Amino acid sequence: MLKNLCQKMFGRSLWVYHANSGGCNGCDIEVLNALTPYYDVERFGIKLVGSPRHADVMLCQGPAMRSTAQALKRAYDAMPAPKLVFAIGSCACGGGLWFDSYSVIGPVEKIIPVSYYIPGCPPRPEAIIYGVAVALGLVDKKTAPVAFKELELPIPQYHPGDLRGEGELVVYEKAEKV
Amino acid sequence: MIAREMFEQFKQRFGPLIVRADLPSDNRLFVFVDPSSVRYVTQHIFRELDARYVATIGADDRPFSGKFLVAHNFAFDKEHLLCGILAYLPPDKPQIDSITDMVPAASWGEREMRDLVGIEPVGHRYLKRLVLPDGWPEGSHPLRKDTLWNEVPAQYDPEREFKFDEAPEGCMVIPFGPFHPTLDEPAHFRLFVEGEMVRGCEYRGFMVHRGIEKLAESVMNYNDIPMLAERICGICGCVHNVAYVQSVEEAAALKPPPRAEYIRTIMLELERLHSHLLWVGLACHIVGFDTLFMQSFRIREPIMWMAEKISGNRKTYALCVIGGVRWNITPELKLELRSVLDKLESEWRPVVAAVSHDKNIQKRTCGVGVADAGQVKSMGLIGPVARAAGVDIDCRRDHPYAAYDRVEFDVITEQGADVWSRLLVRAKEVFESIRIIRQCLDKMEDGPLQLEIKDELPIGRMGLSSVEAPRGESHHFVITGENNRPRRWRVRAPTYQNLQGIPAMIKDQQIADMTISLGSIDPCFSCTDRLETVDVRSGSVKVWSQEELLKLTRKKVEG
Ligand code: SF4
Repeated sequence: MLKNLCQKMFGRSLWVYHANSGGCNGCDIEVLNALTPYYDVERFGIKLVGSPRHADVMLCQGPAMRSTAQALKRAYDAMPAPKLVFAIGSCACGGGLWFDSYSVIGPVEKIIPVSYYIPGCPPRPEAIIYGVAVALGLVDKKTAPVAFKELELPIPQYHPGDLRGEGELVVYEKAEKV
Repeated sequence: MIAREMFEQFKQRFGPLIVRADLPSDNRLFVFVDPSSVRYVTQHIFRELDARYVATIGADDRPFSGKFLVAHNFAFDKEHLLCGILAYLPPDKPQIDSITDMVPAASWGEREMRDLVGIEPVGHRYLKRLVLPDGWPEGSHPLRKDTLWNEVPAQYDPEREFKFDEAPEGCMVIPFGPFHPTLDEPAHFRLFVEGEMVRGCEYRGFMVHRGIEKLAESVMNYNDIPMLAERICGICGCVHNVAYVQSVEEAAALKPPPRAEYIRTIMLELERLHSHLLWVGLACHIVGFDTLFMQSFRIREPIMWMAEKISGNRKTYALCVIGGVRWNITPELKLELRSVLDKLESEWRPVVAAVSHDKNIQKRTCGVGVADAGQVKSMGLIGPVARAAGVDIDCRRDHPYAAYDRVEFDVITEQGADVWSRLLVRAKEVFESIRIIRQCLDKMEDGPLQLEIKDELPIGRMGLSSVEAPRGESHHFVITGENNRPRRWRVRAPTYQNLQGIPAMIKDQQIADMTISLGSIDPCFSCTDRLETVDVRSGSVKVWSQEELLKLTRKKVEG
């Protein structure tokens, strides 16, 4: 349904507006990257615009913060319908590393309706283009069932108790009284 | 033995005022003084010994020592020493004399400490809230140990709007942000303009707070935090990653193996390359030179691919663990990296040549956004902004870390103090970075990547680390703690200082120059705002007082 709508409404060109509601810059730069020579999304008619009032699509990056929720909502309301929202990056899709910190509300879908999710931290420019192309009906969705297994990370973790060892630390001269 | 010499000097000068001193290594010094003498001691250090102000840290130490802790950190760049002046404050009604009249750069630090830890800087002249929103109830301080990381006080009122200061007489107000076309990140400026000229501004930022320091102190462990740290900022993430790890290593007196140090250096410089190219591109985009924007992004792309080949990700490298690194640079990668660098160098040279003779760019940037050496000192400005004003500071040389003491490079300075000079500094630093990486590739020795850590990390020790990010010095302070995580971790990102210099830079300039002036510090709001705050209306910073603005306006009217 959404796909048909997209093809009908945005067949030729897609004007996008990108809003960072509080992530790090990672996703921002990848979106910018997608505009530059190696990826060049303008050949698909995708153009970055400076105002939500001109936009068909909003690219959201970063989690919904308490501090930017209102501004994000306002930007969304300012877009003319029909409109699409892409959540780009783990932060926008699921809240990211800080999903339960008290300054963060969570994924952007808690504030505005999201049509497509592009995960990754940050997603590669190819992934972003692929996501948009799927939405536009330029390519088909490729899905395969994947089961994830939690990996044993080769990082030592220092838990007090099991690593208590010998050895003295030498360099630190403690508390020189004057 | 710089630390010891300096300490002897302090001992002679301040004698009984010093309560205790820690000398963890040759170029680190922690001096604990009596709270009432903090002002006196910092004045001496800042004025007479000409130290550079770095950061102010407030910590809740009540569960451990029953007291609050305040630290003012200073850097002696010529002597290669980082020094902290610390004081313990009583648990009830903690307060300390403000040092902002001598060190204006400490203004944000002290206000942040007041908001988050509840330590009152007595005598601070502009105590408007910085970080916490107006809707946040008085007396609730998120960084205190008795507050949880996901706790929002019941009295919190999300509807309460921020009250802006009145615009000075005769001035119009132009809002700028929070979502704006030139910068990616949310931040809001209100410009007070008179005709075309900007007379002042009010900054309302701190919108990207994600509660990072609190998360680290309450739910993460030592080796989780590097991944958290690099997500402070997507552009200079590796800097935070390395700086955090180094400060922990320093606190625990660990030394990573040499190969790891070289790999850290290489990755940091790769990051500087991509960041500087990005900045030159964006700056050209801001002044309307889109061809170069596209060109520099094209030139930059192979660096991103290289980073991906080494670390598996284009941006967030997940490079460090305590005591080492996770990724190796194999002989094949070495070869490839060399050819990427060669290509980059040959492509960047004509760009620099073209830019430095471009009359249009010069017209847009010469004499714009000036911050001279005096402002650099008083506002604590750093990085390319300071170097463009002829102030010769660079942490890579002054406070060497990783393998920077084993490579040769020049610190680029310019004299213009304007946006043009900053552009030149950054463009030329690209060549220095290439030089550094080449030397590292030559000198890198074989060996282990990680240190084997047998002991549990010691508790209650302090570590400082300054890393030269593409934007300036990034400063991390760590107090190690129980439960496999630090007690206090404070990040001072470069934009935190540089942003405070903005009002002075854009004062009495045309409004059209605002974006490039702001762009010229390469602002990174996610770095600056990494703390916890809640409301869009929070954290207005008015670096200019109302009186000053009025005076300015009046002068204009009279004249
Ligand atoms: S998903 Fe990752 S790269 Fe993107 S904003 Fe979040 S932390 Fe940054």
